[in-house]
Amino acid sequence: MKKWFNTGKPWIWLTAGSVSVSLIAVIGLVLMIGWRGLSFFWPSAIHQMTVQQVNGETAELIGEVYDSESVPTTRLNAETIKLGNIESEMVTRYLMKIGNREYVPLDFTWVLESLIVEDKTPADMAVIERTKDGNFYGKIMAITEKGEVIARHTDDNFRQVMFDRVERAVELNDQAMDLQEGEISAINYQLSQLNLERRRLELENALTDEAVADLQRQREQLQAEYQVYEEQLFELREKAKKNSLLVRDFRGEEVTVPMYRVLDVNFPNDMGFFAKTGHFFQQIGKFVSEDPREANTEGGVFPAIFGTVFMVLLMSVIVTPFGVIAAVYLHEYAGKNSVTKLIRIAVINLAGVPSIVYGVFGLGFFVYMVGGSLDQIFYPEALPNPTFGTPGVLWSAVTLAILTLPVVIVSTEEGLSRIPSSLREGSLSLGATKWETIWRIIIPMASPAIMTGLILAVARAAGEVAPLMLVGVVKAAPMLPVDGNFPYFHLDRKFMHLGFHIYDVGFQSPNVEAARPLVYATSFLLITVIVGLNLTAIGVRNHLREKYRSLEQ
Amino acid sequence: MISVNPTKSTTDKLDLENLSPEQTALSIKNLDLFYGEDQALYDVSMHVPKNRVTAFIGPSGCGKSTLLRCINRMNDLVEICKVQGDIELHGKNIYDKDVDVAALRRRIGMVFQRPNPFPKSIYENVVYGLRLQGVKDRRVLDEAVETSLRGAALWDEVKDRLNASAFSLSGGQQQRLVIARSIAIEPEILLLDEPTSALDPISTLTIEELITDLKKKFTVVIVTHNMQQAARVSDQTAFLYMGKLIEYADTDTLFTTPSEKQTEDYITGRYG
Repeated sequence: MKKWFNTGKPWIWLTAGSVSVSLIAVIGLVLMIGWRGLSFFWPSAIHQMTVQQVNGETAELIGEVYDSESVPTTRLNAETIKLGNIESEMVTRYLMKIGNREYVPLDFTWVLESLIVEDKTPADMAVIERTKDGNFYGKIMAITEKGEVIARHTDDNFRQVMFDRVERAVELNDQAMDLQEGEISAINYQLSQLNLERRRLELENALTDEAVADLQRQREQLQAEYQVYEEQLFELREKAKKNSLLVRDFRGEEVTVPMYRVLDVNFPNDMGFFAKTGHFFQQIGKFVSEDPREANTEGGVFPAIFGTVFMVLLMSVIVTPFGVIAAVYLHEYAGKNSVTKLIRIAVINLAGVPSIVYGVFGLGFFVYMVGGSLDQIFYPEALPNPTFGTPGVLWSAVTLAILTLPVVIVSTEEGLSRIPSSLREGSLSLGATKWETIWRIIIPMASPAIMTGLILAVARAAGEVAPLMLVGVVKAAPMLPVDGNFPYFHLDRKFMHLGFHIYDVGFQSPNVEAARPLVYATSFLLITVIVGLNLTAIGVRNHLREKYRSLEQ
Repeated sequence: MISVNPTKSTTDKLDLENLSPEQTALSIKNLDLFYGEDQALYDVSMHVPKNRVTAFIGPSGCGKSTLLRCINRMNDLVEICKVQGDIELHGKNIYDKDVDVAALRRRIGMVFQRPNPFPKSIYENVVYGLRLQGVKDRRVLDEAVETSLRGAALWDEVKDRLNASAFSLSGGQQQRLVIARSIAIEPEILLLDEPTSALDPISTLTIEELITDLKKKFTVVIVTHNMQQAARVSDQTAFLYMGKLIEYADTDTLFTTPSEKQTEDYITGRYG
């Protein structure tokens, strides 16, 4: 035994074992989140169940089976046990998503397995995705136009007709949406700019009658344009409202579902594997490209993805020059004495400060002091409404830049110290000054190390939520920080963030069951985004390394 | 005794003690150098003649590299290094306060022990010094690249791949590239700090031939630990020992009839 220990083999096992444990932990985490997040998009069967009730009657349920669990019989009440003739200690129960939110108090319900009398999955059961009130489950009976039935489910080409109508309605809605978010919002923006312009002239005592008339003329022109667009919008909406679906719901009643609220109609029970796969990817596509609906519990997360990536890029643009310049000073110019050492230790320790503290600092310093001052100097016409004196994407990026500054400084300094002195001497001996040497030789050669710092900074910043809640992130941002209105980048705006979105959906949502899969899906997406950002940076770094690989010699 | 290369172009022997100003590239006067408390050079005085090759020889740690690095103020990089005495270039002490060190180094180039090309293309390596001076004209740069690479006997080997990375060259080629880079800015003096110590014998030979060529345009000062090399390439040789200049004479004289006992001991291999 002792001999075996002396061979060093246990040491190899120990090290390999710890690597395996780490690997399993990481892979397990990704698989778990990935599985639970992605399976949400897979179309699940629509069950039509007949379930015994305590009062002796039976009730019908239509919906998706979301989850199942075993519960001990002791947790059930006596009547239920008697009803189901339950003898075993554990009993399975299912969580059903029954949708139809406007007709039931809760769109999720638990069903005991032993109380199910009948369970069918009829092929004509439809899931109707809607802009409001969530999914509707039921059997589509007919299509109406202005109250008149134009097609019945018994018709041969009923589904074709229905899909055509749904497509038309969705298209009309999209047009209306484009109009609203494009032209109309642009006009609104210009109108608010006119108001600000007027206020500015007023503050400068330059509000002449001429200027007033000019502003008034512009305003009228914009309002005239607005009228035209508004009419178009109403027309589109009116058109979209023409059709409705008649759907038989779980109670057996025929309910009218207006077409303008329908986003999509599916028959999951009637789908083959390939149809389901297609639907799966379509749903993922919608998830990453659409805006959220219904207090973030439905729809996509596009603004959050955009906000996360935009904020991280903005942060990188801010942190890299600052970090590199600071590191160059510390390593190249500062005297090698105890003060420099002290500063270096302080910088490294900054990395250990809890992020929420940076959030508080950002709020107090950047938002209120810097932002408040900027408002007084540059945006007095908007006061008392703050422009930069309120949390926004710029302050979030700056706060995270401060948070990640130590990482960039430390790895840049390491990179600088790895550059052989012979190269500095070579440059100096050609008549370069120290600055020229740093700029032309040292910094390019340290760029892989700078990129390493940036990679670490991005990894940390993209996952940070706590400080952002103080300096700019919101549950729902009405507008993206980048749009078509001059000056295109609106760094004063608040933004949505995937990390905060997870928190909001998971903990602040009114509908916990509906939100849970979204939490997993969003987490998986956040991981994907961070990995994507990192892979990009790593690709750039490897390219630079290849270019300067003499360093390793 | 080391034989002096008979094929070496014979040059007139100069009176090294009394060079005329036209013949002098550089004068070192009473130079003392300290690293903190330790003195590394003791009262070194010598004249380096123009358009000739001067070699510094001596055992390791004798101060020959230190002396060389004083000439273009590379020792400034060492914080604890202190220099007393004068090094005069055209009668002007290069250690005066008003000397622009970068400008000085443009006039006194240096090649180091190990090839240190920059992580750039061959072309960019050669024009680095010119770009620093703000030369942007492509024709001027192209011409300088060809002249310098020809001057460094590298042109024929690299003319087809000027945009390749300098690291794709062999060690000997890299060292010649570094020499080309140094002569591209046309310095007056070229300092070579053991330029062949990291190279194989064939590359060494190429560089030695090159050095003999270089003196037509430049004054060359070479540090070498290889006495045969000093004998082969240099016109006059200085022997340093323990920070002191023991003997400075024509190479032929120094290697055949040294006047100092220490020199004789060293060149006959009794120590070092």
